[in-house]
Amino acid sequence: MKILKKLIISSLAIVGFLAFNINANAACGKLVIAEQNWASAELMANVDKIILEKGYGCTVELIPGATMPTFTSMDEKGEPDMNPEQWANAVYTPLKKAVSEKRLIIANKAPITGLGEGWWITPGTVEKIPEIKGMTAMEILEHPEWFPSKEDPSKGAFVGCPAGWGCQLANANLFRAFEMEKKGWVLIDPGSAAGLDGTISKAADSGSPWFGYYWNPTSMVGKYGLIPVDFGVKFHSRDNWDNCITLAEQDCADPKPTAWTKSEVNSIVTANFAETGGKDAIKYVKKRTYPGEVMNAMLVYMADNQAKGSDAAIEFLKQHEGVWGKWVSSSAKKAIKAGL
Amino acid sequence: MDFFSKFPVMDRVSLMEMRKGIDLAFREFSRAYGDGIEAFFDPLLFFLIRLEKLLLATPWPIILLVLGILAWLGSRSWKLVVGSIVAFMLIGYFGMWKDCMATVAIITVCTIMCITVGIPIGVIMARSSRVEKMMLPVLDMMQTIPSFVYLIPILMLLGIGKIPGLIAVCIYAVPPIIRLTNLGIREVDKETIEASTAFGATTFQKLKSVQIPLALPTIFAGVNQTIMMALAMVVIASMIGVKGLGVPILRAISNQYLALGLFNGLAIVALAIIFDRITQKYGQRMQKHRGQKK
Repeated sequence: MKILKKLIISSLAIVGFLAFNINANAACGKLVIAEQNWASAELMANVDKIILEKGYGCTVELIPGATMPTFTSMDEKGEPDMNPEQWANAVYTPLKKAVSEKRLIIANKAPITGLGEGWWITPGTVEKIPEIKGMTAMEILEHPEWFPSKEDPSKGAFVGCPAGWGCQLANANLFRAFEMEKKGWVLIDPGSAAGLDGTISKAADSGSPWFGYYWNPTSMVGKYGLIPVDFGVKFHSRDNWDNCITLAEQDCADPKPTAWTKSEVNSIVTANFAETGGKDAIKYVKKRTYPGEVMNAMLVYMADNQAKGSDAAIEFLKQHEGVWGKWVSSSAKKAIKAGL
Repeated sequence: MDFFSKFPVMDRVSLMEMRKGIDLAFREFSRAYGDGIEAFFDPLLFFLIRLEKLLLATPWPIILLVLGILAWLGSRSWKLVVGSIVAFMLIGYFGMWKDCMATVAIITVCTIMCITVGIPIGVIMARSSRVEKMMLPVLDMMQTIPSFVYLIPILMLLGIGKIPGLIAVCIYAVPPIIRLTNLGIREVDKETIEASTAFGATTFQKLKSVQIPLALPTIFAGVNQTIMMALAMVVIASMIGVKGLGVPILRAISNQYLALGLFNGLAIVALAIIFDRITQKYGQRMQKHRGQKK
């Protein structure tokens, strides 16, 4: 009798588990995900679409988006249901409010690792000047002679941000904060994104040293293996950053040396996503973290092959099973692999 | 029927391979010759930097004085002299002096470069109809191809800075001077040339003492056009790191600073009008001079 009882209970448990599983899948309804207009966001949206559809039985529609419009629409109208790559600094206050009012949920605090803005050097720089390896920005600044400027070789060239970008002000203020002019540096304005990229690819191609501003994740960082430079100072204070470094020169009388502010990227979902998508979908988003170098490799692939997000997503799922395999349950993993 | 409804297109893979191939070939070319080409332009860069430094280091009243003298020599018109000085004073007063001097420096060097390259090409074109036939489509291309397209190879080859900017400006600005030199020389009276031949002038003498002097007003119209077109390119040159009035305009565009954009835009307009009026008046005076001699 006992054995029979056990059998019944265990089989019930199995049936129940299966039923629950089927239920969970059936519970996932129709979701709308924002596909923002830059490479990494395109890739993430398309990967989410494939995984949620094949692995969790959701129906996913992608709609085009961009940082501000997508956030506003999610906040006000609850549509789309998810933004895989929301740059949080841009929407800091309203996001906080929406989270506290339970309209939006930050499902993943860091979907990509190693991301952010800062100062970088090319690998060619390290080859030419081996002792620069591991140096902080503070130490590099003592050696302007390593980066002779084309127009005035007695000065060191620091490549800043194109005119009109927010980072231009930050770089110009940091240039003053670190007293770089006194140390023998000039701040080069590359004029445009193409100009900035051009200086990097030219330096990388010719093996000449390069020191300047860039950000991650980008295909440039992946393609040329740019090396981030530690600032050698701590992040000074929010007050210094928000009320001085990011403002125009005349509004920032006394900039303090500081590391670059941390860029925060979240995957945010609406309350509806949690309902329609079910627990498993949320669990997946929570676990979904792209290692920075994998993301960069994908961006290089996209740039080299001029690939769309949907093509790149399939490439990613095929090539990096070890990465995404950890994000999903084993049954979902099988289903996704079968679906490719 | 598929054939008629769908344009026969090269397949995606080979198209991509072709694009990649072109990119790679140019990258290799720039790796191999980039440094050499850069070194070739070094004297020009040196001259450009010197000129800019000189303009910036010279006290502003002296610059205004020189400007006034140049305007007087060119136009012999008090109105124009006063107008240019007032315009420059306004530019300085609104805080655009430094940028304006950088722009004047690059426009000056660009004009000199265009003249030294353009006039000989124009002369050759005028002498040989075959060269003319070959050059005309090239000139058409230089004037119509979107400048962003040739910014890419220039960037890959020379990076950012003054020289790439100068070359980008010159590609756009040199065609009028070539065209008008060609036209001017071709338009010189057949009889005049016949007469000089009768006097036993060599080809070079004919060119130097008959054709070019008679074509000078037309050539000058070309110089005038070249300056105008160079000024129009200032903003685009700023996109590859050329300092000057273009930089604040770029900043204004990306931040929607109406006033900043307007001020600097008007400064470029003022420069253009000053250069245009002075060179035009000079050209007219040359024509008058020729008229009197006849």
